[in-house]
Amino acid sequence: MIIKGKVWLFGDDVDTDQIYPGKYLPLTDKGEMATHAMEGADNGEDFIKQVKKGDIIVVGKNFGCGSSREHATVAIKGIGVSVVIAKSFARIFHRNAVNTGLPILELGQVEKIKKGDVFEVNIENGEIKNITQNKGYKAKPVSSLEMEIMKAGGLLAYLATAETAEGYGDKETRGIKGVI
Amino acid sequence: MYYIFCEICVKTIIEKIFSRGAGKDVKPGDYVWVNLDLVAMRDFGGPNVIQEYESMFGEHPVFNKKRVAITFDLHIPARNEKVAINQKLLRDFTVRQGARLFDINTGVGQHILLESGLVKPWDIIVGTDSHMNLLSAAGAAGFGMGTTDIAGAMYKGKLWFHVPKTMKIIIKGKLQKFVTAKDVILYILKYLKTDGALNRAIEFSGETIEKMNLSERITMTSMVTEMSGDIGFIQPNQEVIAFIKSRTEEKVETITSDPDAVYEKVHEFSVDSLKPQIACPHSPDNVKEVTEVSGTEVNQVFIGSCTNGRLEDLKSAAEILKGKIIKRGLRLIIVPATMEVAKLALKAGLYEIFLSSGAVVTNPGCALCTTGHPGILAPGEVMVSTSNRNFIGKLGKGAQVYLASPATAAATALTGVITDPREV
Repeated sequence: MIIKGKVWLFGDDVDTDQIYPGKYLPLTDKGEMATHAMEGADNGEDFIKQVKKGDIIVVGKNFGCGSSREHATVAIKGIGVSVVIAKSFARIFHRNAVNTGLPILELGQVEKIKKGDVFEVNIENGEIKNITQNKGYKAKPVSSLEMEIMKAGGLLAYLATAETAEGYGDKETRGIKGVI
Repeated sequence: MYYIFCEICVKTIIEKIFSRGAGKDVKPGDYVWVNLDLVAMRDFGGPNVIQEYESMFGEHPVFNKKRVAITFDLHIPARNEKVAINQKLLRDFTVRQGARLFDINTGVGQHILLESGLVKPWDIIVGTDSHMNLLSAAGAAGFGMGTTDIAGAMYKGKLWFHVPKTMKIIIKGKLQKFVTAKDVILYILKYLKTDGALNRAIEFSGETIEKMNLSERITMTSMVTEMSGDIGFIQPNQEVIAFIKSRTEEKVETITSDPDAVYEKVHEFSVDSLKPQIACPHSPDNVKEVTEVSGTEVNQVFIGSCTNGRLEDLKSAAEILKGKIIKRGLRLIIVPATMEVAKLALKAGLYEIFLSSGAVVTNPGCALCTTGHPGILAPGEVMVSTSNRNFIGKLGKGAQVYLASPATAAATALTGVITDPREV
């Protein structure tokens, strides 16, 4: 899957309270959650006003650290972000992204990327073209098991469809062999 | 023996637990599906889990109703109509499905699961709380997860995991008076930083750790989340095993890593001369000695949370507050982790000390964890908290939060400025 979009930048250790402030936790409507994506982060309010469908978030290390709230990935996806590219992701955010179908990629060097750069991103092999700067990057995509879950439409759809007489042994084995 | 999948017996604790859960030998880097022993959710996240579960699987029975638990610990009692509706949704679900319910009169979820005999070594437990990993204090593998994971876990009783590498942290030395497990873990955070254990399991060991009681172990393991670690194990000692055995009819078997287990890294810390530590705004790894920031004016002190809400934590605060009155104009909020802790505190005379000192003692629960709770700060206000996170905005826009031990928090409540507990 190839995605094209404009880059928004945020820093290191952006925690879930910046991505989705705790006061909105009681919300259960995904559309409503989306209106608060990145609200607690630096320039979060500008982001909410100006972000366009298909835009891309690029961040530093440990993105999504903090609480287990899935609202964080749901809100980012809901506001129209097509992929989040980070130096590294916190464990729960990473899982939540896979399970809710928010594409993510890990990229070692993000320092020279500028706000507003236009990217063309291949989610499956991790190839990124920075069209604005005329550069290319190679990011690390998720594992093959995680990709299968995302393609199925998230974890619940995967579990509902992956059942065989023996449970979901086939997928299980493929997942383990496909370690990246 | 649970552990039969041993081709080469050089496994760390997490590798052993995942091998048992997967029914085969696993190694770091593997992606595996493992069987779960318990699936938990709380009043936060829980309603989203139920909605997702029922929209996908309808009335389909959960994988095992005895192994699904709902705990109310965040917005209790319900503080507005939206929260009340969410809580009703959860209560109704437990009636329909027969799952276990721990209502608003119980306390912090993980602590309730521990006290109720639902946690034992080797167990793999998931829940909608990023501090589920404190269950490793009992030798269980607890993992915080998002709502989709929990909905899937409740349906299948299985989830996928990435087996982490393990790092070992050895802690040696005898702690001085008023220097606690919280000071030790803050000191470690100062060096490992907020991503120092990213995608890693930790095993804590060494003489300092071995002597720690269950409360201290909970303090240590809960803050592994703040280093972005998956989990931090402490091999259960006799006291911990006795606590678990006293709560369950099931067989309890301790867990240890193999003598030749392979660790990615070994860190060693000596704590003989460690002084009280404090994490300054706005990051848990912005750690200094308390004396470096002593004198900073404070508006509110919070003693409690999943990290420091046990009886021993309250006793530590009471020792300092006994017979004294908190600084005029300062608010001191004390919250026992569970109703069991509250009852023991009452019996031990701690409520008398707290209430006479001018503290507000509220019902057991998570309390000042995040915005939306009674006790949130006004812009510019300063709080010393025994909780685990001081992210910007988490407890009110423009507020400054410091993280410290119950002893430092209590000393600060008396003087109204950040105070080293050894000085009061």
